[in-house]
Amino acid sequence: MIIQTKNISKRFGELIALDRVSFEVEKGEVVVIIGPSGSGKSSLLRCLNGLERVDSGEIIIDGIKLDKDKKSIHKVREEIGMVFQDFNLFPHLSVLGNLCLAQKVVRKRDEQTSEKTSLELLKKVGLLDKKNSFPSQLSGGQQQRVAIARALAMNPKIMLFDEPTSALDPEMIGEVLEVMKVLAQEGMTMLVVTHEIGFAREVADKIIFMDQGKIIEEGQTEVILNSPQNPRTIAFLSKVLK
Amino acid sequence: MPLQEILYWISSQFLILKNILFFLAPAIPMTIKLTLVSFTFALFLGFLVGIARLSKNKLIKSLSKIYIDMIRGIPLLVQIFFIYFGLGKVLNLDRFLAGVIAIGVCYSAYLAEIIRAGIQAIHRGQYQAALSLGMTPYQTMRYVILPQSFRIIIPPVANEFIASLKDSSLVSIIGLRELTRAGREYYSQYFVDFHTWLVVGIIYLAMTLSLSRLVSFLEKKYKVHGYGIQH
Ligand SMILES: Nc1ncnc2c1ncn2[C@@H]1O[C@H](COP(=O)(O)OP(=O)(O)OP(=O)(O)O)[C@@H](O)[C@H]1O
Ligand SMILES: [Mg+2]
Repeated sequence: MIIQTKNISKRFGELIALDRVSFEVEKGEVVVIIGPSGSGKSSLLRCLNGLERVDSGEIIIDGIKLDKDKKSIHKVREEIGMVFQDFNLFPHLSVLGNLCLAQKVVRKRDEQTSEKTSLELLKKVGLLDKKNSFPSQLSGGQQQRVAIARALAMNPKIMLFDEPTSALDPEMIGEVLEVMKVLAQEGMTMLVVTHEIGFAREVADKIIFMDQGKIIEEGQTEVILNSPQNPRTIAFLSKVLK
Repeated sequence: MPLQEILYWISSQFLILKNILFFLAPAIPMTIKLTLVSFTFALFLGFLVGIARLSKNKLIKSLSKIYIDMIRGIPLLVQIFFIYFGLGKVLNLDRFLAGVIAIGVCYSAYLAEIIRAGIQAIHRGQYQAALSLGMTPYQTMRYVILPQSFRIIIPPVANEFIASLKDSSLVSIIGLRELTRAGREYYSQYFVDFHTWLVVGIIYLAMTLSLSRLVSFLEKKYKVHGYGIQH
């Protein structure tokens, strides 16, 4: 098991964002998380890499227990790459600069090595010709592919995607999903929050349905999509599949 | 009036202005030096206070807030008096140092607010992206946040710099021989107040105008990536 959470809970004041969430992910598994807005999907991902601290419960990533100690948070972050809905590229750096920065300051790679890694990854996401562009000069789909390459440059064992295509125009969604499919085929462990049910059907091993901070239902992709049991899952799916 | 007399009058006016200019010119470097040294000090202090304003530590945070409110609520002239005549006597400060401390402290409060706002203007997604790449909070500040804030704060900081050049004239009150002080000396010797203050004013104007030209030139040259139109 590469990800294991036991009864994690998270509150924001009165609001319970996560309510005793437990689940496990095997190495190489692709898990898609679905659920209505505000159900705690983003909070869950952010807790996994310590961007948000859980109030109670336990998270173990690749054998490392995530606790208050800064070192464990740091170690875990080195194992996990994260891709955000609104890309969050660094606007003051070129594409290459975006990919190289953390390699240099976190992984302590030298200029040459980090550049070589970056160029390989840019080639992989089909943006080698954009290496000297700045984020503002790229389309949304291109920016998101750069963001994926930037995360991969750190050689993570796990990739978290928080609605990676929700901010994109429809014609750009495909190019990003394509990159993600390749990653999945290569055996990357992935946790993907998305409303792209087609992508889930094709790529996901498992689907988790969340509502109001709880996991309502989880299981194999076909089972959840074709014969969901919980009425809330049924209601949600009938809405998104429409 | 015959033409000859008019010409004579005009040339005598120019002669007076020229005399004043020659008298004042040696004091200009002091104004520049005073402004540069005080503002550098103000930047340094303002940066620390600006960061302190964003601290998670409640004590540091409220102390820096008190500092800013206090300094901004007292006229610079009073601060100059206080530092030169009050603290100066105890600490044995000369006029220049007293001026530097007064302007530096005063402007640090304004700069701190600008710097704080510049840091807060950066979207929290930038922090999350940097942290999720494994960067430490320090590295995040150093390589991701500050370079972006820097470009946002250049114009307001430049405005403060120009304002501090003008405010440096207040230090003339404690007898530091900078531009305004030299103007007063000239006036008390020759009693041509109109001409004297006209020339002093024009010299300040020339300095502030060239500075603002320089700033807009630099702004264009280092145009910010990512703050233009997204396409
Ligand atoms: N930093 C925060 N401070 C206060 N409340 C928050 C914070 N982050 C999230 N919340 C709240 O926690 C709940 C869960 O939010 P979360 O972003 O995890 O939901 P989500 O499932 O990702 O929703 P969406 O589909 O809209 O992205 C929401 O009600 C949200 O308003
Ligand atoms: Mg979300």
